[in-house]
Amino acid sequence: MNLSILARASILSSTLTSRTLNRTIPHRPISSSSLSYTPTSPNPKTPLFLRPPIFTATLTDLKKFQTWAQTLASSVGSSFTESDNGPCSEILHRELNWLIQDSVQTPDILSLNSDSKTDAVVKLRAELGDLYLLWKQRIEERRPFQYVVGCEHWRDLVLSVEEGVLIPRPETELMVDLVEGVVKERVGLKRGLWVDLGTGSGAIGIGIGRVLGDEGRVVAVDVSPVAVQVALFNVRRYGLEDKVSVKQGSWFEPLSGLEGQISGLVSNPPYIPSGHISGLQAEVGRHEPILALDGGEDGMSDLLHLCNGAASMLEPGGFFAFETNGEDQCRFLVDHMESVHNNSFCDLKIVPDFAGVQRFVTGFRS
Amino acid sequence: MALNLMKSCAKLCPKTTTLTPATPVHLRRFQIHFNILNSNNTTSFSPNRTSSFRCATGDNNTPPVSSSGNDGGRELVAMSDEKLLSQCEMDTYKSSGPGGQHRNKRESAVRIKHIPTGIVAQASEDRSQHKNRASALARLRSLLALKVRSTIDLETYTPPPELLQILPAKSTIRGSENGPQIGPNNPKFALGMQALLDLIFAVEGSVSDAAKKLGLSTGALSRLILSDDSLRQAVNEFRASKGMKPLK
Repeated sequence: MNLSILARASILSSTLTSRTLNRTIPHRPISSSSLSYTPTSPNPKTPLFLRPPIFTATLTDLKKFQTWAQTLASSVGSSFTESDNGPCSEILHRELNWLIQDSVQTPDILSLNSDSKTDAVVKLRAELGDLYLLWKQRIEERRPFQYVVGCEHWRDLVLSVEEGVLIPRPETELMVDLVEGVVKERVGLKRGLWVDLGTGSGAIGIGIGRVLGDEGRVVAVDVSPVAVQVALFNVRRYGLEDKVSVKQGSWFEPLSGLEGQISGLVSNPPYIPSGHISGLQAEVGRHEPILALDGGEDGMSDLLHLCNGAASMLEPGGFFAFETNGEDQCRFLVDHMESVHNNSFCDLKIVPDFAGVQRFVTGFRS
Repeated sequence: MALNLMKSCAKLCPKTTTLTPATPVHLRRFQIHFNILNSNNTTSFSPNRTSSFRCATGDNNTPPVSSSGNDGGRELVAMSDEKLLSQCEMDTYKSSGPGGQHRNKRESAVRIKHIPTGIVAQASEDRSQHKNRASALARLRSLLALKVRSTIDLETYTPPPELLQILPAKSTIRGSENGPQIGPNNPKFALGMQALLDLIFAVEGSVSDAAKKLGLSTGALSRLILSDDSLRQAVNEFRASKGMKPLK
């Protein structure tokens, strides 16, 4: 598994080097500034696993780091879980293994455990000192693991993420399956124009771009310049520049002139009620962009805006899917669409996520 | 609860999976056909929803049913992902709380339950839920191969091609048209393993009798059985139930 991830990474990095890595920081040693996590850089940071293995450490020193990091992870126990439903030691240990997979060129060497090779030299994608720093940030500052390694594994994609961009959630993976199911049945939609509003890392837009036919196009929109840069990086990494375009703007703003021409509209907008923001798990509340989380007093402001926009932007027969906070928001939306936009939409459905939470509202423009 | 499930899962080695039931499950051929004919679920799958298919008896632990020509087990293992998933209930580990944007816990573990047989497969070792789903499904397939038995008629028995494919080249009944031997890491191994287990059950666990049917020496068949942990375990469990010594 470790190897396949790395192999995939190296294939991607070698085939896309000229297009993607050159515009970031391919061969520059990681300076302390690349470890800081204010969303300032106009250029997205290269995820750890895509950086060149230009650093070295002895196996002994790497093992020392591993032992230190394991001890730190163990010291957490269930304290995070008890305080804000954060990760327990066990999850942190798993994350540490992933950090090692992403940063060590041959991570298996650690599990071989042969004492004779202690002075073997291991190639790293970050300086050993930086690995200490990163793991401290993970534990002491509760910096999300995905920001620490600069990527998230989502569906069959590995997406670059950084501070300022919402980390795509596993629940949202289902959005792409929903679209895939719809375009299988309604082939016309496969050739149409799709829109992902509030795309963040570009996850849904890229996922959809890969299930549409050759003629299908996606416009991924985000108001945040950091998100636009990160989404562009991810689109390029998957070679989808011709299919998925990324535009900066608020919701429907960049789509003027396309009224009634959109085949599909998907969005995972901010939907957490403002009052719940302060009680969020530290990884989310302290580090992820509030712009992508806070949905106003009842969490519905943006969802309602999207519903209203869907009525004017979708072509007849066009499909929409929105992610919500759960059952209450789903029901509210369906009621709203049936009462306020009566006859505008049909086939409205509430779809549960894998954990059984009523998560998505889908339907078609009449 | 999520935590406990993860813990119990982490204790198992990566390839292991929670199994229910402990005894082989027998399926009636018509039940499987019933499902295929009525399967109109062409979308990828329905998350967390029970498929419309249920065992006709409504009981997963029906006693073994013998019917000649029953190859329901084979159909299950060879079924497309979509069809197999349409017979399954799937969920991630249920987590308390609202999930979605509220959470960052990388709970990407997936659990799939095959409704007709009650067999459960899960996967949590990958970083993406999507991939864990694929691993869980592959595991489910191999569990179905291990657990669902079809009866065979020894009088007229000829090994099916998928079984010939997993035999070593020295088998006297294996022709060159069967290609190179398929090993346990090949996804096609499950079908061969299932056919082999059907045979071993039919000969009451006797490796030497099974070996004769396959044109192999007893030693060669033993080595094949021992080459895959789950296959070895299934054979040894069956032999133990017949009061026979385990293969080592």
